[in-house]
Amino acid sequence: MDDRFSDSQPAELSFQRDLSGDCRQLISMRWGVGSLVLIATAFAEIVLEVNLPVIGLVATGLAILGMNTYLTLITRPLSDLPGPQRRRRARQLVIIQILFDWVAMFVALHFTGGITSPALPFILVHGVVVAILLSSWMPYAYLALTIAILTILSLLERSGAIPHWYVIPALPLYLHRRPLFIAAQLSFIAITSSVVVYLTAAIMNRLIERERRVTTLLHTANTVSSIFSLSEVLDRLARGAAHALNVRAASIRLLDETGDNLNLAAAYGLSQNYVDKGPVDATGSQFSGEVLEGHPVIIDEVETDSRLQYQQQIAEEGIRSILAVPITGRGKPVGILRVYSDQPHRFSDDDADFIMAIASQGAIAVENAIAYETLYQSDSDRAQFVRMVTHELRSPVGGAQSLLRTLLRGMAGDLTEQQQDLLGRLEVRLDLLLDLINDLLALAESKTVGQREPLKRIPLQPVLGDVIKSMQVEADSKKVSLAYDAPFEIFAVLATEEGLVRVFRNLIGNAIKYTPSGGSVTVRVVERPSGAVISVADTGIGIPKEEISLLWNDFFRASNARRSKVSGTGLGLSIVKQLIDHFGGSVSVHSIEGEGTTFKVTLQIASPADEAA
Amino acid sequence: MATILIIDDDPDMILAARLCMESAGHEVIEAADGSEGLEKIKEQRPDLIILDVMMDSTTEGFQFAIKLRSPDPTSPYAQYADIPIIMLTAIHSTTSLRFGPDEDYLPVDAFVEKPFDPDQLIAQVDELLNR
Repeated sequence: MDDRFSDSQPAELSFQRDLSGDCRQLISMRWGVGSLVLIATAFAEIVLEVNLPVIGLVATGLAILGMNTYLTLITRPLSDLPGPQRRRRARQLVIIQILFDWVAMFVALHFTGGITSPALPFILVHGVVVAILLSSWMPYAYLALTIAILTILSLLERSGAIPHWYVIPALPLYLHRRPLFIAAQLSFIAITSSVVVYLTAAIMNRLIERERRVTTLLHTANTVSSIFSLSEVLDRLARGAAHALNVRAASIRLLDETGDNLNLAAAYGLSQNYVDKGPVDATGSQFSGEVLEGHPVIIDEVETDSRLQYQQQIAEEGIRSILAVPITGRGKPVGILRVYSDQPHRFSDDDADFIMAIASQGAIAVENAIAYETLYQSDSDRAQFVRMVTHELRSPVGGAQSLLRTLLRGMAGDLTEQQQDLLGRLEVRLDLLLDLINDLLALAESKTVGQREPLKRIPLQPVLGDVIKSMQVEADSKKVSLAYDAPFEIFAVLATEEGLVRVFRNLIGNAIKYTPSGGSVTVRVVERPSGAVISVADTGIGIPKEEISLLWNDFFRASNARRSKVSGTGLGLSIVKQLIDHFGGSVSVHSIEGEGTTFKVTLQIASPADEAA
Repeated sequence: MATILIIDDDPDMILAARLCMESAGHEVIEAADGSEGLEKIKEQRPDLIILDVMMDSTTEGFQFAIKLRSPDPTSPYAQYADIPIIMLTAIHSTTSLRFGPDEDYLPVDAFVEKPFDPDQLIAQVDELLNR
């Protein structure tokens, strides 16, 4: 356990072990130990008829069981705590238990004969537990202290300062006073427990190291798949690599377009001064050159290795050894991942394999970023195309339409009735063509991901009021009454103003278009828990039931709409749907053919907090 | 009878607007871009300007209007700042921006959507001239 990885680290990189499971395991084991003390005492007293300090041993056994009951009670709420807090509390509990067991162990040892106690091997067991649960130096400190206390106990019993209990009758009297026996016992215990603790700690260290690496790999894989920003992914990979190997620093350098320079893309744990030292020459530096050929390279001693381009700066930074691995994408090297230690000879081949795995995640991130860049580029190419169409396709039609209208109004001389009729038809056709171009552009825009405008807080009623005012002329000329009913209190919704205008121009325009003279269109705003609901209801031709589900498709027009003389492109509702999806709202339709149609749009009501966002 | 300056890079658009204006009894002068427009303004001082929003660039019309209506009294165009401007635009329905006459942002007096309706354009011109 290394305290450098405490809870101040971001949660995903915290390697603080969770000991709450061990806590519970210790408690369940202790039930056995407490019971064993009681049973063994009873057995020795009744069956073997050994003269034991029954009261002392029973008290010890009961104390163990009592403590365990208390521990069970305070450990139970552990799983309800949040991660970092739980880990801290579990660690405290583990230390409390170890200390308690330690004291109980010495009491039991004393009551069972001190240096002659048959329970002495329990020191080994406890040593193993401590080596498993505590970090590197702590088991050894514990061990030294244990031997010291055992020595003191033996000497006190030998001198008669405290009583000695004769537990095994077969042993020679005063065995516990023989210096040679005491020395032999103590050294045997010291040596065996040291070996046991050392082996256990080594296995534990390796396990923790493995766990740390597996966790890091998992996190980096997650990071790579969930974050789009290349620099952020690389930052996290560098940090993850340094944390996983438990070393000071890490950096990622990527080859530039020329392939000659390695530019810094991410750094962790390095001074600004060092980071600013400039690009690494990919072809000139022997060290980087070797790495870019595709092999991990370990520099065991910075000061004596001539392969480094910035040897002096690296030494000044306090770095003693370096491990560097290539980042390879599509068979080609794209960069280098390095980890730095302030100790010489810090890195092993095992470390190299692990860092290679991290680097392959880096390669994926780089490739993702390039793919995203390409996607974004093609997106903006599309937007460019849309703009081109705006001007190039629409202006000639607009020009033609303007000329035609001046002709039609007789501004270039009088027209015969037939000419008037033909030009009128032409005007209708050109209008339809313009509508189509405009709708296609709107659709292309609403489907272009990168071009999407961010949502804002838009006051609903004023925008809606403006739209209705602007549609009044159209309604009047068709003799359709247009009514608007909204609460006095103004809601702000999450949308774009242009998009909102387009949605309601489309819906209200359709309602007017497909409602015969004498009918009515009613726009109503109500507040519901789900948001602001805007309904546009007409008394028009309606939509055939079986066609309602097709309504939102590009270019779809209901069969009765096609039969009517009303022109349309079939793109309006598709645009409406796209925009409302973008706003995070919903739209539904209810219609009875021949009676009318009601569209209901639900939009999220924006809180003032959304303004800042 | 007034003098109307039409600034547009589309000759058909100019012709259509010219026919409209002439049928309403106005005299028309033409310019194909913003700089020619500014010259014509100095030479002939029109009573009203019909301005296309996009010419060479998507914003040339805006820049022209902003230059002409500069609040700076030492601007070479200060004496022309009160000439009414009608902006012809198709942009209203296609880009994600929604333009409206706004003194700070876009100093024009009215918008007419392109392709224009001749009667509407004439009515708008008359309204601004009689103001």
